[in-house]
Amino acid sequence: MIKEFTKGLFKENPIFVIALGLCPTLATSTMVINALGMGAGVIFVLVCSNIFISLLKNFIPDNVRIPAYIVVIASFVTIVQMVMEAYAPALYAALGVFVPLIVVNCIILGRAEAFANKNKVLPSILDGLGMGVGFTLALTLIALIREVLGSGTITLPGCVITVPVISIAPMRVIAFPAGALLVLGLLKAFFQYKEGRK
Amino acid sequence: MKNIIIIAVKLAVICLVAAFVLALVNGITAPQIAASKAQAELDALSVINKAGTIGERVEGDGAGVNYYFPVTDGGKVTNYIMSLTSMGYGGNLVILGNFKVNGEIIDAKLMEDSETPGLGKKAENAEYMNKFKGTGADKPVPVKKTMLESADADAVTGATITFTGVSKALEYGSEFAKKLGGQK
Repeated sequence: MIKEFTKGLFKENPIFVIALGLCPTLATSTMVINALGMGAGVIFVLVCSNIFISLLKNFIPDNVRIPAYIVVIASFVTIVQMVMEAYAPALYAALGVFVPLIVVNCIILGRAEAFANKNKVLPSILDGLGMGVGFTLALTLIALIREVLGSGTITLPGCVITVPVISIAPMRVIAFPAGALLVLGLLKAFFQYKEGRK
Repeated sequence: MKNIIIIAVKLAVICLVAAFVLALVNGITAPQIAASKAQAELDALSVINKAGTIGERVEGDGAGVNYYFPVTDGGKVTNYIMSLTSMGYGGNLVILGNFKVNGEIIDAKLMEDSETPGLGKKAENAEYMNKFKGTGADKPVPVKKTMLESADADAVTGATITFTGVSKALEYGSEFAKKLGGQK
């Protein structure tokens, strides 16, 4: 059972191995705090949608399952958006358009289709948690590299750490969208290499 | 045929439940969201206005100025605080600007935007507006990157459209303040 949780962390990491949800990964990995906020949103939506889709798997007719999943996912995303805007307006302002875009994050629809509609509730919760945490870890790693090299800072909730030396002349290209592709590509190559040597 | 009706009814049930839950959450969060927005504007007003009494809200011209507050000191209008709208990279920008009667920019703050985090979003920082302060009367508002000092120009690199949006709004506000010319 615990395997359902751990597989999402490394062996089937959604970003580095399955390569799902790359759009929000590239877009929100400019600052560490954005990565953490986005990760928290994705974990919540992923776990909730996995629970409900697992519960409803016998109720949802097979030929309209995709629209039904989208309605469930979109509802949770809208709840996240409203709650975030009401109680964490700073985070909401920082993430902006990426919060509603969680709806079309392929990881969530992918797990609903590939896992939750075939399994019981408890494994689905663990799967959602593992995939969500794996996504957050990968996203935070990319954001950390990009923020340190691209801006010379590390922005955490409530404080900003300035990295000496780099902050004087940061590599601006790493902070741009092109830099996101470069960092992601290099990291994926690294994980592929590690995997191949085993 | 019967099958299609069952599918439609099931999908409708899912949508109805979802709509009901969302309405419930909206009912709880909407007042909180409105309150925090109003509080944010009140905070911003007190930050960018250092002296004088903020007067009654006046509707703007509908083009670039949403609304404005004349600020009086000893019965005379000294400056105007305006809510300005313009276009950024990701959508509308709403800027609160404080202008002297002669059009000089005292301070400004970006209130709402959909800019890219890490690039255009940096315009939300208070320091971003420093390059506009003091312009608008004797010096023109910098609306092009070439009108900035090289350090400031570097800082807006990668977010030129955001910079243009902010500067055009402030330039419009400055002209609007000159047109009002001290009247309430």
